[in-house]
Amino acid sequence: MSIEALLTALLASTIISSVALTIASLGEAIGESAGLLNLGIEGMMLISGFVGFWAALESNNLWLGFLASIVCGAVAGLIFGGLVVLAQADQVIVGLAMTLAGGGLSGYLFREAYGSNQPLLQGDLGRPLRHLGGGIPVIGPAIIGQKWIVFVTWALVPLVWWLLRRTRFGLEIRAAGERPFAADVAGVDVTRVRLLAAVINGAFSGLAGAALALAELGFFRPGITVGTGFIAIAIAMVGRWDPLRIAIAALLFGLLRSAGTWMQITGVNIRPEFLQMLPYLGVIVAIVILARGTRLPAALGLSYRRGIDRT
Amino acid sequence: MKPRVLVRSVGRFVMMLGLLALSGAFIPTATIAATKIENVAIITPASKTNGGWDEQGVNNITSVTQKRGIKLEVAENAGYEDITPILQDLKDSGAQLIFCHASGYQTICPEFAAENNVPVAIIENPKAVKPGLISDIETHAEDVAYLAGVMAGKETRTGTVAIVVSAEPPTWNFMSVGFAEGLKATRPDAKLIYSVIGQAAYDDAANAKRTTDSVLAAGADIVFGMGDGASFGMIQSIKEFNQGKPVDKQARFIDVIGDKSKTAAKSFLLSSVLFDYTNTYNQMIDDLQNGTFGKVHTLDVKNGGVHLLNPPIPVQPGTMAAVDAAKEKIVKGEIKVSTIGDANGVHKRLKELFPGS
Repeated sequence: MSIEALLTALLASTIISSVALTIASLGEAIGESAGLLNLGIEGMMLISGFVGFWAALESNNLWLGFLASIVCGAVAGLIFGGLVVLAQADQVIVGLAMTLAGGGLSGYLFREAYGSNQPLLQGDLGRPLRHLGGGIPVIGPAIIGQKWIVFVTWALVPLVWWLLRRTRFGLEIRAAGERPFAADVAGVDVTRVRLLAAVINGAFSGLAGAALALAELGFFRPGITVGTGFIAIAIAMVGRWDPLRIAIAALLFGLLRSAGTWMQITGVNIRPEFLQMLPYLGVIVAIVILARGTRLPAALGLSYRRGIDRT
Repeated sequence: MKPRVLVRSVGRFVMMLGLLALSGAFIPTATIAATKIENVAIITPASKTNGGWDEQGVNNITSVTQKRGIKLEVAENAGYEDITPILQDLKDSGAQLIFCHASGYQTICPEFAAENNVPVAIIENPKAVKPGLISDIETHAEDVAYLAGVMAGKETRTGTVAIVVSAEPPTWNFMSVGFAEGLKATRPDAKLIYSVIGQAAYDDAANAKRTTDSVLAAGADIVFGMGDGASFGMIQSIKEFNQGKPVDKQARFIDVIGDKSKTAAKSFLLSSVLFDYTNTYNQMIDDLQNGTFGKVHTLDVKNGGVHLLNPPIPVQPGTMAAVDAAKEKIVKGEIKVSTIGDANGVHKRLKELFPGS
C-alpha cells in the first residue's frame, strides 16, 4: 500500500464523514443562538433522510429527494418550534420526544415501504471539480474530487456566519437568545424570530439527513445516523456557535473517526475499541478545553411569554 | 366403624385415585415427555429485516413453525441490554420455547431459563446446556469461511484482501480466522487488511461504507464483509468504487448470511457464507416434544447447516475446483480450521498468519 493512497483515503474519509455533522451543527447553532436547545436533530435527520430517500427513489430524481428532505426537516422544525415557542413546552422533553418519534417513524415507514429489501439509489449528483484535480496527488482526489455536497457544505459556513453576524435577522436571532425581553421591548417579535430559527434549524437537519442518505451513502436504513445528531449538538457547543469553528471541529471529529480505520489498515497494533473511542474522547476533551469558558446564550432552553417573562 | 361404612370409604378412595389417574395428575413423567409444542418465540437484537443474521434466524423459524402449525412470536430490535422483561413477556404470552438468536444472549437466556423454567435455545455457549431446559447451537462457519478464503486467494488480482466486520462476536470471529487461514493456504504472499467498524455496529451502514471506502483505497480488491445491516454500506462502497472501471479492475464482495445475488451487489458478489437453521430448529422442537431437549446442535459443512453460495458471477478457471478440494478435505478431517471465538485470539492469529499486514 502506498503512502499516497493511504493519505488520500484518510483525507477523503475525513472530509466526507464531516459533512452531515457540519450541516446539522450549523443548524443547531442557529437554533441555540435564538435560545432553542433542539435535542431532536437526530430524529429530524432520520425522518428527513427517509422522506428524501423515498422521494428520490420514487421520482428517480435526487434533487427532488433533497428538496423533500429539506421541506420535511423544516416541517419538523415548525412542529418543534410550535410546541416549545407557542405551547411553551419544555425544550429538552420535546427534543428527546422528536428524536424518538423520528427514529421510530422512519423505521416503521421504511419497513412498510420496502420490507426486507434494501433499495439503493441509482447514480449520484457527481463530483463537479474532479477534472480540475486530475494530476494533483492526494489533494486532487481527496479534496478537489469530492462530491458536490462537500462544496455546498463549505459554502454554507460563510453563509451562516453572514446570516448570524451581518444581517438584521441574525441580530434578532441572537437578541432572542440572549435577552428576549429586551428584544421584545426594542420591537423584535421574539415569537416569530424563534419560530423561524426553529424552522431553519429543522431545514438544516433535513439537509444533513439528505447529505448522509442521498449524497454520501446512496441509501437509507433505519437508525442510519447512529448518533450524528447528538454529536452535532456537542460540535455546535465546541464551536461556540461560530460557523468557522464548527466546521473545523466537525473536520477534527471526522479526522479522529477516520484515523481509527486508517490505523487499523496500516496495521497499528492498538485495540479497535480504543480507536473507535477516539472521536468521542476528542469531543469530550474539546468541550473541556475549548468550551470551558464559553458563555451559553443567556436564554438558551428558556421559553418566553410576552408580558410575563422579564428576562 | 361399621364394615359397610368402611367398604364405602375405601370405594370412594379408590374412585378418587382413578379420577386423579385419568386427569393425569398422578403420572408426572409421562405427561412432560408428551408435551405438545404449540407456541414458540424468537428474540433478536436487531430488525428481522436487516438482511443478515437476525433476518436469517426469523425466516428459518417462520418457515418451520408455518409447516408445523405452531404459533410464533417474534421479538425483534431487542438490543443487547437487559432483555429479561422481553423474555418475561414472551413467557407470559405462552411461549414454550424461546430461541435467543444472538451470541450476546448466551448468558442472560440461560439465567432466565433457570429462574423461570422456560426452555431456551442459545448460540455458542455449549457449557450452559442443561437437559430439558437449555439447548445450544454451534455454528461451525469457520469451515465455510475457510472455503471463502480459498476462493479469495484464487480470485484476488491485487493480492490484497480485506475483512470488514461490524463487531467482534464469536460467530464473526470464527469466520474471520477461517477466512484468513483459507487465504493463507491458497495465496501465502497475500496481504490481509482487518478492519472493525465498531463494538456493536451491526446497523452502522454509514461507517461501514467509510471503512470499506478506505480498505478499497488501500488496494483491497476482495472484501469479506460481516455486517448484518451494515453490509449494505459495504455493498454501496464497492458499487461506487467499481463505477466506470473495467471488469478486471473491479472489486468484489464475499458476504455472510443471506443470498444477495438479486440485490445491487449482483454484479460483484463473489459468494456468501450461508446458514440454515431449519433442520436444527425442527430438531429442537422434536426434542422438546420427546423429552430429549437440552443438547448441543451443530451447523457444519458436513450436515449442510452452513455452506458457500455458488458464485453468481464468473470466476477464474480452477477456483471452484480448489474450493471443492478444500471442502472435501474439511469433511474428511484432513484440514482442521482453527476455532477462535475471542477477539484477542483473532488479532493474535491474524498477526501470526499475516505478520506484515
